[in-house]
Amino acid sequence: MSTSRQYELIYIVSPDASEQEIADLHAQVEAIIARIGGELVKSENWGRRKMAYEIGPHKEGNYVLELINGTGELMKELERRLRVSEKILRYLVVRVDEELRAAERTRSRRKVRTGPPAGEGDRGGLDSDSGDDRYESEA
Amino acid sequence: MADERRGGGARGGRGGARGAKEEKGPGQRRSLFRRRKVCKFCAEKIDYIDYKDVRMLMPFVPDRGKILPRRISGVCAPHQRALQTAIKRARQLALVPYTAD
Repeated sequence: MSTSRQYELIYIVSPDASEQEIADLHAQVEAIIARIGGELVKSENWGRRKMAYEIGPHKEGNYVLELINGTGELMKELERRLRVSEKILRYLVVRVDEELRAAERTRSRRKVRTGPPAGEGDRGGLDSDSGDDRYESEA
Repeated sequence: MADERRGGGARGGRGGARGAKEEKGPGQRRSLFRRRKVCKFCAEKIDYIDYKDVRMLMPFVPDRGKILPRRISGVCAPHQRALQTAIKRARQLALVPYTAD
């Protein structure tokens, strides 16, 4: 019914959570994906890092990134669970498939156009030629 | 009153002169070293501005925490738009500050 898309889920686990708790949360995410149907493409634990601002009393957080193929319903359920969990300071779900596809498209388009060595001119239809030339001579 | 008019005329004249010069070609004469700015993302052929890549975003978030306007950074409009969403996402995750503390 609903189409599968690619999402990026990042959540910040409280710094007082133990390694075990972080692993448990990850296992929970995996379990939800398995239950509702979806695929965990990549999982990355960034470990503990300083945050740019305090969230509540915390200055640091454990960042975990999950790249997921799944439906909107799956992400809805994941979000609900993350919201409930007390150890999660914050989470963010971003749909990435379209953005990555767009990036891929521009990349391949550039490859096709082998001619001009001037990379800067590629996209800037607005840029005047003389300006670009000048930059190249400087660089 | 006469003074005022003369001042206005002078200003207009200067502005007109500048415009004319730009039409001829950028920075040929006494342009005070206004270097041509080139979009960093176009130059380095970065297609996807990743909100997770703090090292890439930070140059566009000065100490104050605001997003650097493209009139300063020289980033092209499509990339500035992408950069803007990337920074806003990074802010939500406390990777990039909202404000200076």
